[in-house]
Amino acid sequence: MTENDQSEKNGIVEADGGQLSTDGGERADPPRDSVSIPDEIELPRLLDFYELQDPEHTQIHEFYDNLREGSFTTTECPDCGAVHFPPRIVCPECHSDDLHYTDLPHEGQLHSFTEVRGTAAIGMTDDPPFVVGVVDLGPIRLSARIDDAAYDDLEIGDPVGLKIMEIEGPADHERVFYRFEPV
Amino acid sequence: MPHNVAIVGGGLTEWGERDATWKDLAQEAGKATFNDVDGIEPEDVEGLFVGAVQPERFAFQSHVAPLVAELLGVEVNKMIARTELACASGQAALRYAWLAIAAGQLDVALVLGVEKMNIDREHMPEMQSNMTNVLDREFDGVNGLNGPSHFAQFAQRHMHEHGTTDEQLAMVSAKNKNHAAETDFAQYRKHVDVDDVLDSYPIAPPLRLLDCSGITDGAAGVLLVSEEKAEELDAETTAYVTGSGQSCMASNSINNLPSMTTWPQAGEASREAYEQAGIEDPLTDIDVAEVHDCFSISEIIEYEQLGFADEGEGGQFIEDGRSHLDGDVAVNPRGGLLGCGHPLGATGVCQALEVYRQFAGDVPNARQVPGDPETGLIHNLSGSGSVHSVMTLARDPQ
Ligand SMILES: [Zn+2]
Repeated sequence: MTENDQSEKNGIVEADGGQLSTDGGERADPPRDSVSIPDEIELPRLLDFYELQDPEHTQIHEFYDNLREGSFTTTECPDCGAVHFPPRIVCPECHSDDLHYTDLPHEGQLHSFTEVRGTAAIGMTDDPPFVVGVVDLGPIRLSARIDDAAYDDLEIGDPVGLKIMEIEGPADHERVFYRFEPV
Repeated sequence: MPHNVAIVGGGLTEWGERDATWKDLAQEAGKATFNDVDGIEPEDVEGLFVGAVQPERFAFQSHVAPLVAELLGVEVNKMIARTELACASGQAALRYAWLAIAAGQLDVALVLGVEKMNIDREHMPEMQSNMTNVLDREFDGVNGLNGPSHFAQFAQRHMHEHGTTDEQLAMVSAKNKNHAAETDFAQYRKHVDVDDVLDSYPIAPPLRLLDCSGITDGAAGVLLVSEEKAEELDAETTAYVTGSGQSCMASNSINNLPSMTTWPQAGEASREAYEQAGIEDPLTDIDVAEVHDCFSISEIIEYEQLGFADEGEGGQFIEDGRSHLDGDVAVNPRGGLLGCGHPLGATGVCQALEVYRQFAGDVPNARQVPGDPETGLIHNLSGSGSVHSVMTLARDPQ
């Protein structure tokens, strides 16, 4: 690696030439240093829509652990009986922090849906068109991607079932997320 | 409230895809605001409230209220804050200023809303990411749920439960965009008819492109003063804050929304404001309403929640022309968000400025609410529709 390469790596490139003319002769424009900005940067952690899911990063890791094992769960409050979604560490109804995980149905009905046809967010730019909807599971209603379906083929009330996705990408643990698909 | 509070003028930038930075926009609107009000100079300002949603993401800048103070030469000696309440940030700033003056803490406040949203077309995914994380990023945003796809599901449910039609949605857009055609700062100044809306691309069905507001750069400012100060200024036109209500359900998410056809919080916020203002029948007592038409469906649900129409009857309300300039209540005479665009932090401030200008008769005839309007309302929703903010205004103090 040359010295110049090293400078570029540090983000500073020195222009050739070096010194301002000081001999009283024809005055050259002073050489300029430049700053180089990378054309692309790796997707920063904070622009990754998927949460880090291990016990070192989130206290609802049990939700993700269960999902990884194939079951869709959420928190329930033994004190007041509330079933939450998303899962919590404090019950919003009574502020108990003694919550346990309970199974949710893996099938439900489409309460509403649409199709994203415009530009999508970072990390999803190749996905449109895709269907997003609200799924009624009985105990809870939640928003979700509906895979393997097009807007024109769906109707309110259609049955949909859970689908577990593996998230490929820069995390040092295996990540998963839920979607639904017509059944 | 112990002290009456009045808007005594304001100004704004041109709205749209602007060749300008966040700081440029703040300066343009600040200059226009002070230009509009005789007798108030930057050194008179005691409180500064800046509505701004995502300068950290769109302009890579935080701590923006002191930045505005620097740009406009305002030394703030009483109270300064930035307000962030997503699409209602501008109204939140107005509400802070109103409360501070009403409580007797200060006499003169500048409220400025600023948003820079266009960051070149090639960066549209970045822009979409910013909008997508307004809901719960971990459990909603992750699904790619953005503005159009969120509100499309409200439209679908409203159509499903109440028989609201594509044509009725399109009537809202056509009305507002035709108003905007007469608004010199609006992002969209082209006349459109119902068929134009219906023929536009279904970007998030059942919503079409022309059912959606824009991605907008813009800023707007108003000056709020105590009644004593307004009298001292001998202001020709005033818009007194007569009521202000807010309501937020314990939710920021589409998960477990109890209803996707109603916004009970809009009803609660408006009833709170109406009670303060002594408004018994909003349909007869309000002359001009600036409501949050981020999407055409929003305005239809708002007719119902703000007390203009019965639940489920919002579609019929527009079909019968009752929200037109010459209807029962003139809704969105400047063109709303659908016509003017929606620079998030600036929208609520601009709505208040429009009501002030309607009181002053300071708008083109083609969109002047007839009959010398004396009472007005501004409404904003934010996030999933879980939060609603309503402020009532009147030309004369209570
Ligand atoms: Zn509980």
